[in-house]
Amino acid sequence: MEDASSKSFPANEPEQDLYTIPSYSSWFTWDEIHETEKQALKEFFDGSSISRTPKIYKEYRDFIINKYREEPSRRLTFTEVRKYLIGDVCLIHKVFRLLERWGLINFGVPTEDSSGDEKLKGRLEDGVPNGIRVVSVPNPNKVVLLTPNVKDEAVDKGGFRLPPLASYLDVFGDLMREKGLICENCGEGCASGRYVSAKQGGFVICVRCFKNENYGESKTADGFKFSDSTSSSDDHGSDVWTDAETLLLLETVLKHGDDWDLVAQNVQTKSKLDCILRLIQMPFGELMLGSTNGKGGASNSSGNNINNRQVQANSIDTQEPIKTENQCHENMDETRQIREDETQDPLLKRRCIGSFADSGGSLMKQVALLATMMGPHIAAAGTKAAIAALCNENEYAQEMFEGEEVSVTNYFGSLTSKNEPGRVCKVDDMEMGEKCIQSEPQETPQEKLVPLALRFRTGIAAALGTAAAHAKLLADQEDREIERLVATIIEMQIRKIHCKIKHFEELELIMEKEYTHIEELKEYFIAERINVICEALRVGISRWKDHTSVKSVIGSIF
Amino acid sequence: MKSLPAVASKPPIKFRLPTAENLVPIRLDIEIDGQRFKDAFTWNPADPDSEVVVFAKRTVKDLKLPPAFITQIAHSIQTQLAEFRSYEGQEMYTGEKIVPIKLDLRVNSTIIRDQFLWDLNNLESDPEEFARTFCEDLGIVDPEIGPAIAVAIREQLYEIAIQSVASARESRISKKGRRGAEHVTTSKAGGTVLDLVKLFGGKSSVLRKRKEWELYEPIIDILSNEEVSALDAREERNAR
Repeated sequence: MEDASSKSFPANEPEQDLYTIPSYSSWFTWDEIHETEKQALKEFFDGSSISRTPKIYKEYRDFIINKYREEPSRRLTFTEVRKYLIGDVCLIHKVFRLLERWGLINFGVPTEDSSGDEKLKGRLEDGVPNGIRVVSVPNPNKVVLLTPNVKDEAVDKGGFRLPPLASYLDVFGDLMREKGLICENCGEGCASGRYVSAKQGGFVICVRCFKNENYGESKTADGFKFSDSTSSSDDHGSDVWTDAETLLLLETVLKHGDDWDLVAQNVQTKSKLDCILRLIQMPFGELMLGSTNGKGGASNSSGNNINNRQVQANSIDTQEPIKTENQCHENMDETRQIREDETQDPLLKRRCIGSFADSGGSLMKQVALLATMMGPHIAAAGTKAAIAALCNENEYAQEMFEGEEVSVTNYFGSLTSKNEPGRVCKVDDMEMGEKCIQSEPQETPQEKLVPLALRFRTGIAAALGTAAAHAKLLADQEDREIERLVATIIEMQIRKIHCKIKHFEELELIMEKEYTHIEELKEYFIAERINVICEALRVGISRWKDHTSVKSVIGSIF
Repeated sequence: MKSLPAVASKPPIKFRLPTAENLVPIRLDIEIDGQRFKDAFTWNPADPDSEVVVFAKRTVKDLKLPPAFITQIAHSIQTQLAEFRSYEGQEMYTGEKIVPIKLDLRVNSTIIRDQFLWDLNNLESDPEEFARTFCEDLGIVDPEIGPAIAVAIREQLYEIAIQSVASARESRISKKGRRGAEHVTTSKAGGTVLDLVKLFGGKSSVLRKRKEWELYEPIIDILSNEEVSALDAREERNAR
């Protein structure tokens, strides 16, 4: 992305325009001639001819680019350019091809075919706010565009066509519902409104079903009603967002932030709820909100994103340190999202090629961060171990490190002491970066003897050491956790058994009571029997008769 | 003005077409028994001469011409190649020379008029590619037009190269003898050479003035069938 202030071409519009150039052409500046250009067009820079000088090259270049940018949606042809420029046509052609190859002109402009349509498609919206990265892929259809007829097309073709800014839900929403909003009767029922049967199974929808998508999720009578109402009341569609509306929404959100009343007022065609829904639906909606909250924070920190990402990855497994830094990790999440968006974006001017030194810096930072999490002693120990291992491997390294050991370990130690966990992590990260940058030059005089490669190896080894220490810590923690859990289980079992025993004891008691009670009853009955027999004897029942009766009575007892 | 002498003192190169590929433009116009054969193409002078006859035979066979054409075609090509070779080995003066090339040709029903600058010193120039781009940019579909443009450019370059040989010879002579006449002869030899200092020197811009745009803009005319046959007839008459 490039703001082309019309420096050399005052006929251009005075305000700043937004142009897309591919990220690999980020070297381009108006003011200078880059090494790439010099390499490709040596003849301009070897002083071989008065007709080929850097100044003339710059004039050619600037003119061609400006010419293209007068109408970026149209393909600029060489034949058109050459009539404006004095000079060898072959040479101009060479310049032209160079610019075209690097995407400085004709980038993303489709070749010849339906040129009528391209005018609309290729144009980028002027006022895209700074916070938004226009994600543009060589395929021009994916560029954020102002195509007001997208909706119409979708209606016309009857197919399920997505607006360029489609969210996950837009794309996969119907798949998740397993239904697929297939417009079966689109041919007939378009104008009269579509019908969504309340039952889960039967989704019969006409062409405009596209609009229903939001309500489709609640497949109830409500959903049915809703779609009816939209069909009757809303012809311009409260659910379909045209790109213009979306852009307006984004701009407004950037301007006003969370003030949804204002936003809705600005967007006009949509309600407050619609705006919020739309923003959430968009792939980076939350990001937008986030960036408006902490204005510009995201873009500021995007520079150290790679580190942030690694930090994030590192800190995922250690829950405790995060807790204090929740806030900042959320920020980092956002940053990461931005970054991911950006890395997909071939147009970014900002992207630069990471050099070895950069990777070294980030490595140092990572090591430092690991060290922070581990505490100074462990980090120092890890570093020592790493150096010891290196020394074993190579005697030369041993000599090198003889004097360095202390300083290196101190270095990481000091890093850790500098970073209290309470601080905001982002600041930490920055500081670490600074610290690294500051401390490296400090070290270089001492370390002059230690070759760079060795230093890197030390760094890596130290990182591995600290990581290992960290892993050990985690493992220990895990062990303790397991032990604790096992102990609890055993305790629970014991408690269960105790309960059972108690229960049994109670039962036994009851049984005993019961038993004694029955014994008593038994004795009582015997006594009763004896009484009865005695009575009978006394009254004088016949002996033989008595005998049997007494016997039977006694038999029944015993 | 300062850089000019240094540039001009650049050693002359051996004669060749001042393009990336040293291809000689060949133009054939042969009439036997009322049958006329016209063609234009390029030939690599490094190819063995045996190829010429093979080419002639094939052409005659492909176009179903009477066999009498074979020798005529071969002869014509040979002659033109011989002429080209007669210059080879001589020195030619190509330093700082940018010439306007004018196109005015008719291919079938298309008329092409164009004018542009060509640097004789640019040995990477490629008329064929220029012609290809030309046709692409202007949406010309007739496949004969591109080669025709390239050949037309080559013919003019060839002409200028021959002049350069002459001027190189003259300047050599004048260096020995009449020193003062040097500038006059060189500038006369390359009559169309532009004043580079005026064009590219310090203050002036390489942007063309608005009124000159039309001059350097390609013009394409598509003729109707009647016009084509009328033109053909007139050319026929002129040829006799």
